[in-house]
This record gives sequence, structure tokens and C-alpha cells, in this order.
Amino acid sequence: MSPNTDIEAVDDIFQEGKVVDGFVLGKEVHRGGMASLFSASKEGMDVPILLKIPRVGKDQPVESLIGFETELTILRALKSPYVPKFLGAGNMAKHPYIAMERVEGRPLEDFIKEGKAFTIDEVIRIGADLAQAVQSLHSQDAIHLDIKPENILIDDKGKLTLIDFGLSHHARYPDLLAEEMRKGVGSAPYISPEQVAGIRSDSRSDIYSIGAIMYELLTGELPFGNPQTMGGLRKRMWAEPFPPRAIRREIPRWLQEVILRCLEPQAADRYQSAARLRQVLRDPEAVALTERSDRVEPPSFWENLKGMFRAAGYEPSPSPRPSMGSYDAPLMIAAIDTRTSDKALRERMQLTAKNLLLAYPESRLVCLSTISSTPTFEGHQENETASGIVRGHLVQLMEWAKPLKLPPERVSYHVLEAMDPASRIVEFAKDNDASLILIGASHKSPNKVTPWRTSMTKIVEEAPCSVHIVRT
Amino acid sequence: MSERIGLFADLHSNLEAFEACISKAEELGVTRMVFLGDLIGYNADPAILIERISELVESKKAIAILGNHDEALFKDCRNQMNASANAAIEWTKTQLNNSHVQFIKNLPLIVYEQNICFVHASAHNPSDWNYVTDSMSAWRCAQSSGKSYTFVGHAHEQALFYQSAVGKLIRFAPHPGDDIPVLQHRQWVGVVGSLGQPRDGNPEACFAVFEPDAQALTFHRVPYDHFLAADKVRRAGLPEDLANRLLTGK
Repeated sequence: MSPNTDIEAVDDIFQEGKVVDGFVLGKEVHRGGMASLFSASKEGMDVPILLKIPRVGKDQPVESLIGFETELTILRALKSPYVPKFLGAGNMAKHPYIAMERVEGRPLEDFIKEGKAFTIDEVIRIGADLAQAVQSLHSQDAIHLDIKPENILIDDKGKLTLIDFGLSHHARYPDLLAEEMRKGVGSAPYISPEQVAGIRSDSRSDIYSIGAIMYELLTGELPFGNPQTMGGLRKRMWAEPFPPRAIRREIPRWLQEVILRCLEPQAADRYQSAARLRQVLRDPEAVALTERSDRVEPPSFWENLKGMFRAAGYEPSPSPRPSMGSYDAPLMIAAIDTRTSDKALRERMQLTAKNLLLAYPESRLVCLSTISSTPTFEGHQENETASGIVRGHLVQLMEWAKPLKLPPERVSYHVLEAMDPASRIVEFAKDNDASLILIGASHKSPNKVTPWRTSMTKIVEEAPCSVHIVRT
Repeated sequence: MSERIGLFADLHSNLEAFEACISKAEELGVTRMVFLGDLIGYNADPAILIERISELVESKKAIAILGNHDEALFKDCRNQMNASANAAIEWTKTQLNNSHVQFIKNLPLIVYEQNICFVHASAHNPSDWNYVTDSMSAWRCAQSSGKSYTFVGHAHEQALFYQSAVGKLIRFAPHPGDDIPVLQHRQWVGVVGSLGQPRDGNPEACFAVFEPDAQALTFHRVPYDHFLAADKVRRAGLPEDLANRLLTGK
């Protein structure tokens, strides 16, 4: 198969001022190895537009065409606030292009090149935002596979957009790059060990890349350099990266723990979902410190040698379906009514929560309670102030969870203010990519049945996840 | 108006599934239909199904291709099929008149259009009824067809074989309802799945829609009254296992 020869003349079609399918071409804003980018406008579309035109034809790499097709397929299917909107595409044979929203922002790469020194907090925020953006892909069964500073745009408000899906994978579309003979396609500093081995279906590869980027932003170094040979690329299958705290002492131990866990050679040893990574970055107390957090010296010769032997038989972990990440590391919400005390129901709910947490070792519980609204005036008593009321509910939630004997990294407590508790719970579940909402339904409160039933029906109908109703 | 081709294969005399799929296809704005063979066999409504399809063919709304079960009407194929399939063919013969048989006899084995090839089993020696089930058989089929798009049936499970970066054809299990971009500079072999006797454990009927201009292919699954279809099989005195297959989709 050779690329269609008709498309040789793309350079003539795509020039400033010309009109293609109603798109008026503006300036060429970028010319890369694989594609050119033009600004454009179209009547009826009030967003700034970017046209991406693959570099196809004679003497052009075949990859640019496959990358273009892959991007077309995947961009068209994605709906995410962290991805440019797809606006249209041209006939592949005659005038191939992808029209997309032109997103504000500069590549993270530019900031790195300018020598910007990132504060710890900035890196944590970028990491958490990246994890959220990546989660929005994974939950749609897509994996980016080329997360690197060049492909991350950041606008002046700090909002982040992922671009370039030319190497991506989508579980619901044919993978045109599957069984590609050249292994390790992607950007050497950031690709995961399993990508080096030729695997394109593991969402945890993106988590590895986020770890590599955070490592770079914090230390100014790449965890495994920028190798140009297969042997160099394979180093990440066995070696431990130089501990970030050995380069920059002020890095908190928990953050080193998180980054080194992202960089584990086996995908099964990393965080299992991007949502989970985001949670730990936003809630450092939830991080369980291991030996990773203590490392201050590079691994010894002997440790490296042991690692090399292990890597000789490197077997990548089996890849779960991308959207399944949140199933293996699920976030469960227990919606607890702190106002009523039904002992039997309480015990039944605690038992259910305990069993569910046992079934999923990476799972996490959020104990949630809603209150109608806090007073705007500040009373004299501590229990009359807004913070006092919230604290009172928090204490009750902690009491509730006490018998579960959960380590702090597996449980958190939230009191939400809401006029409509059901909507607030559903919203919270959506925002946090929860996998399950646990609610209790008592037979004991007949006079309250109607509002309670409405509330429960609403949660069941609108929840983005499963709902477990505990009955006594 | 841009063309939308409804692709239906292995209908196997299943009227209930046929009606459900045709109505869904019309809803989707299909502009013409291709019946990829095995119109008859296994189930209980051969005569009416042939009549419906021949009407569509005569009014130029559809083309129909010959399948191995269709061929068994006028050719001795007994050693190539299992006992239930043979029993169903013998029963089918008793249900058809001359004009039905004549319609089947006149069906072409393979049809080539500008960029597309339609065939029941494989474009590679079509009369041998080779199954397209793996990389190798798909590659042979694509090589023989020489077209960008080859649509087949015969294998009852929906699949899309596509040419990868290394030239090899790779099997992809489509997700029903997703528009898959199938760009014409590479070769694709679409196995549209069985309308009348699904075998992947899901009793819903299979078909697909191809849009040449948009270069998009969408596989569909349609629920239909498979209890009624199975009941008719039983009442017709056809082998019990054929009725059960419709219920379990296996």
C-alpha cells in the first residue's frame, strides 16, 4: 500500500487566503515534521480555528499519514474540556485536514526551555491538572501515549489542554499503529517501559509520563535521560531513577513517593488510575509513605544489577481497559445522614463499606454528609458558627468511620452545604469520578418517607456510577 | 445525496430479525441495501424473505449475493454442512416454488463496484466458501478483492479487519453504534455479522451501514422478537437446536 498520490499537491491547496470547505486559511502558525498548522476562520463558527494539515506526498514519512488518521479518529470521538474541540475534517484523498478549536496557551516545553524554576506547589498543581485531563481521556476509553511538555498547553489562567493525538489509542477504534515493528514509538524521555516493549493499550502509561514530567519540572533533569538507542530506552524497565530529593532537598517526602510510584517499571505497581493520582496530589495526607519516600541516594551497583536481571525477563503487566482504571482503584462515597441515628442501619452500612473496601485494596472511601446551610451571622458559641457546625458534622463522620479502622490514606471526610442534598451528592460523585455511592434506607422513619424517597430516586437516576442502597 | 449502504448477511430465513433490521436501517437513512448471501436456511420463513428481497432487488433498491446455504438449494452440498443445516435445507426446499428457486439461482457469487467488493464468504476463491476469521484469511480476501473495501458475511461474528502500519490485516472487534472512520487509502474487510442467527452469545441481529463519502462504517445490533422466531422454528418441525440458537445467540 502506498499513500494516495493525489495528495501530493496539498501545499498548493493550503495557502494563506485560500478557502477549503468554507474554512478561510490564515497564517501558517507552525510547521513541524509531521504537519503544518494554519489559523483559519469560518462563517458561523465564532471560535478561533486551527487547521492541521499532514505532511503527505512524496518524500514524506508514512508515519505522518498514520498519525493524522489516528488523530482524526480519536479527536473526533473525544469530548473533554482538556482537548481542543473537533470542528471538521477534509476529504482524506483530496485535501486532508483536521479543523479544531485553536486553544490559547503556550506549550509547557517553552517554560522549561526558558529555564523557568517551578515551585513545588506549581508542580503539584500541574501534576494534578494533568491527571485530571488524562482521566477525562481514560474514562472515554482513550489513552494519549504521548504526554510530554510539548503537547501540554497552559494558558495565562493556568488552564491546561492536551494536544496531538497522533500516537494515541482508543479502545473503541482500530489501532492503526498496532503491531508497529519499530518498538518504543513516542518521546524517549517520557514513554513508559511497556511502550518501549511495544504495548499501546495500557492507560497507566500516561501515568508514567505524568511522573516523568513532574520529575523534570521539579529537578530540571529527566528521570532516565533522553536515550537514543533501544538499550538506553530499556533502562527504565529495571533502573530506579535518581531520587528527586537528592537533587532538590525541599521536595516533600510524600511528593517523591508519588513521583517514584508513577515511574515504577511495572504498570501494576503505579497508581492504577489518573483519578487516584489526582486525589493523592490534592490530598498529601492520603499518601502512604514507603521506602520510596526515604531514598536520598542513587541505587547501588548491586541493586542496579539485580534490577537488570529482573528486566531481562521484563513482562509488561496485563493492560486493563482504560476506563476500567477507576474500577480497580475505585472511589466510594458513603452518604451519611448525620442528623438521624438509626443504629441498625448505621451498622449495616459500616459493614457494607468494610466489605467493599476489602474487595478492592486500592479503593478509597469518602464519608459525606450534607447540611442545609450555615448561618451567615457568627454566634457566640463555637457550635453556632459556620465552621463550628461543619466541624460538628465532621466529628460525627469520623466517629462513623472509626470501626472500619481505615488507614488515613484510604478515607476522607466532607461536609457539603446544599439546599438539595441529592443533586450535591451526584455532583460530588461526578467531580471525583466516583465508582459507587452507598446510601442507607431505613424502614423506621415513615413520616419522612416522601422527601427521602425523592432524594434517593434522584441519586439513583442521576448518579454517574453505581448506587448501593443499604437496607435494614 | 450521499450514499448510505445497509449491509446484511446470513439472514437465514429469519423474518422477525429481517424486519427489525430493515426498519432500523430505514430509520438510519440507508439509500440502498446489499444482502451478502445466505438468505435462507436454518429458520422458518424462507419464501416470504425471498419475496421481500426480490422486490427490493427488482426495484433497484438492493443487490443480493449468493451464499452457500442458497447454493445448497440447487446443488448437492450435504457433506459440507452439519445435520441440522442439511435438515433445514431439505425443509426449505418444500417451502419454495419455482420462481423462488429461480431468483436464488440467478444470484451472483461476487459483485465488484468502483472501490468496493461484496461477497458472501471471501473474495479469495468465492465458490470455496472460505471463512474470514483471522489475519491471514482476511489478507487473502483483501488481496483477491483488490478493492479498498470488501464486505463479507459467512462468519457470523461482527469484525473489522484493517491494514496496519506493517501491511498486515489486524482484527478489530467493533462496538455497536460507533462510527468507525475507514479511510480509503488502506484496505478494510468488514464482516458484517449474522442477521438471522447471531452466534456471539448475544441474540440481537447484526447488520452494518457503510457511508462511502464519509468513509465511515458503523456496526449495529438490533433487538427483535427472537422468541417468536424460535417458536416458528419449532412449529415448523425444524431441529430443536436451531430454535435454541436464536434464544441463546450461540
